[in-house]
Amino acid sequence: MDEEYDAIVLGTGLKECILSGMLSVSGKKVLHIDRNSYYGGDTASITPLEELFAKFKQENPGEKYGRTRDWNVDLIPKFLMANGLLVKLLIHTGVTRYLEFKSVEGSYVYKQGKIAKVPVDQKEALASDLMGMFEKRRFRNFLIYVQDFREEDPKTWKDFDPSTQNMKALYEKFGLDPNTQDFTGHALALHRDDDYLAEPAVLTIRRIKLYSDSLARYGKSPYLYPMYGLGELPQGFARLSAIYGGTYMLDKPIDEIVLENGRVVGVRSGSEVAKCKQVYCDPSYVKDKVRKSGQVVRCICILDHPVANTKDALSTQIIIPQKQVGRRSDIYVSVISYTHQVSAKGWFIAMVSTTVETDNPENEIKPGLDLLGSIAQKFVSVGDYYEPTDNGLESQIFISQSYDATTHFETTCLDVLDIFKRGTGEDFDFSKIKQELGDEEQ
Amino acid sequence: MANNQRGGGIQRPNGATQNKICQFKLVLLGESAVGKSSLVLRFVKGQFHEYQESTIGAAFLTQTVHIEETAVKFEIWDTAGQERYHSLAPMYYRGAQAAIVVYDIQNQDSFVRAQTWVKELQRQASPNIVIALAGNKADLAASRAVDYEEAKQYADENGLLFMETSAKTAVNVNEIFLAIAKKLPKNEGTGPQQNIRPSGNETNRTSGNCCSK
Repeated sequence: MDEEYDAIVLGTGLKECILSGMLSVSGKKVLHIDRNSYYGGDTASITPLEELFAKFKQENPGEKYGRTRDWNVDLIPKFLMANGLLVKLLIHTGVTRYLEFKSVEGSYVYKQGKIAKVPVDQKEALASDLMGMFEKRRFRNFLIYVQDFREEDPKTWKDFDPSTQNMKALYEKFGLDPNTQDFTGHALALHRDDDYLAEPAVLTIRRIKLYSDSLARYGKSPYLYPMYGLGELPQGFARLSAIYGGTYMLDKPIDEIVLENGRVVGVRSGSEVAKCKQVYCDPSYVKDKVRKSGQVVRCICILDHPVANTKDALSTQIIIPQKQVGRRSDIYVSVISYTHQVSAKGWFIAMVSTTVETDNPENEIKPGLDLLGSIAQKFVSVGDYYEPTDNGLESQIFISQSYDATTHFETTCLDVLDIFKRGTGEDFDFSKIKQELGDEEQ
Repeated sequence: MANNQRGGGIQRPNGATQNKICQFKLVLLGESAVGKSSLVLRFVKGQFHEYQESTIGAAFLTQTVHIEETAVKFEIWDTAGQERYHSLAPMYYRGAQAAIVVYDIQNQDSFVRAQTWVKELQRQASPNIVIALAGNKADLAASRAVDYEEAKQYADENGLLFMETSAKTAVNVNEIFLAIAKKLPKNEGTGPQQNIRPSGNETNRTSGNCCSK
C-alpha cells in the first residue's frame, strides 16, 4: 500500500467502480479500496439469504426459502434502460462481455387502484384501456409527433419551439387530458415528480425517445436486468480497472484522508499511508464533506407468486404516478425472480420504493405493497440521500451522490461522467479502450 | 442449472466447420507469480517471457482444441491481479466450467494456497466444475520444494486432474488443457441462450453512439 498513486478510489459501489475503470483505462495508476470484504457497497447484491436477514436483524430463515446460496438480493432496485447510458458504457468498455442480461417482461402503470400496461406505440395506444376513444386518438398523434421529432430539424417541431416552450404547452397542443399527461410524464418519460411540466419540452421528448428506443432493442420492455443481480455490475467494472492495472484491496479500513494545504495527498489505513494526487469516493467515506438532502424508503419483499394482473411476468416494473395517490413523488415497484438467478426456484423479489415525504415512510409505500398480494417476508429501510458540499476541484476529493429513487441508471451515469470530467478536466475518451480486449479468435 | 452453462448455445460468429463446437469458461487461480498468465500465454500464443508483466491486460483469451469431432473452445479468464490482496470478485467464478489451480513447485506456501483455492472453488463454483492442479515451473525442479507424490496424492483424493507444467519449456501445457477438454461434458443440451449480452450491433433505431454527450 505504501506507494504513490494518481488516484485512490474509496468504496466499490457501481459509481466508484465505473470511475476506477475509466481512470485505469485512461492510464492513471489507481488504488481501489473498500472497507467491506465484498464488492459493491450499497449496490451489492446480498448473498446468501441469511446475510440479508442478518443485515435487517431478522431471524435466520433456515431452509424456508430454498437454498440460501441461490439468492442475490439487491438493496437498491434499478433496471438498465436498454438504450441508456449504462448500456453504452458497458458496450464501449467491453464490460458487457462479463455479464448477461434478461429483458424485463412488463412495464405497467397504476391508475385508480388498478394497473395497466404502459402503451408505447400507436397500436398499443389504441388497444389500451387507460384512455377513452377520443383521448386515444389524441395520444396517438402525440406519439407520432415524438417519434418523428428531430432536434436538429425544426420542420419536425411543427410550429412549436421545444427549447423555449414547456411540456405543459406541448400537452395542451395535443389536448391531452391530465390522466394521459400523468402516465406519459411518469411511466414513459420517467419523471419522478411534476416539475418537468414547467421545463422545456425537449427534455421530456428526449426521455420518451429513450424509452421507445430502449423498447425497440429487445422487445417486451425497455428495461434490462443482469443475471445474478445488480451486484455484478460493479464487479464487472472493477475487473476492467484491474485489467488496466488497477490494484484492489477489500476489507481495508480507511482511517484518514490526508490533506496538505487543503489538498489531498494520501489515504491512511492504520500506520500505512498511500500517497495520491486525487481521491474519488462515495459519501460514506467523507461524512464531513457531504450534506443530507433527502431520504429514500425501500422495502424488499419476498413473494411466492408473481404480481396479479401482470400476466404472471417473472419480472416487471409498476409505476404509481404521484397524483394517483396524492403524493409529490412517484412510487416504484420492481419485480424480479428466480429466472435472473437472484432467488431460489419459485420465489420472487419485489421492491417498493419512493422518495420520503412524511415522517411515516413505511406508510407512504402502502399503495405499492397493496399490489403485491401476500408477502412472505418484508425488509424495510430508510436511506439518507447525500450529496457533496463542493465540486472537489480545490481538495481534489471527488465525491459521488447517493443512489436516488429513480428506477434506472441514467442519473447514476450522469453523475459518473460529471465527476470524471471534473477530476480529469476532460470528457472520457472511449477510443482509449483497446478495440480487442483479447476476445479475438485465435 | 442449465442457465449458467454456456457450452454449445452461444451465438458468436466463428467460421469453423467442425461438426460441433463447445465453448467453456475456464478460470485460472493461484498465488501471485506462480505463472498463471505465463501458462495461458504459452497455451494461447506459444510464447514465453522471462519477465512477464503481472497481468495480461486482456478481458480473456480464447483458444480452441480439438477432441475427435468436437472443437472445444476455451474462454480463459485471468485474475487480472485481483487475487493479490484477496480481492477476487465472485463474478470471476460465475458459470466457470473448468479451473486450473496453479502453484510453483519451488514454493510450499503457494501449494498450501492452491489447496485453499480448491476449497473456495468447491464452495463457490458450480458443482460440476472440472478442476486441474498445475505444479508450474517444472523446469526448475532442481530447487523443488513441493514433492510430486504429495501433490499427486492430494489431487487424487480431491478428484482433480494433476500435472507438473512448465510455461517456459512448454512441458505439459497443451496437455493439461487437452486433459480438461476431454473431461468436460460435450453434450450439454442447452438450446440457444435467451440471455442478452448487449453488443451495440442489435438493430437500433437511434444513431447516438457516444456516451460522453
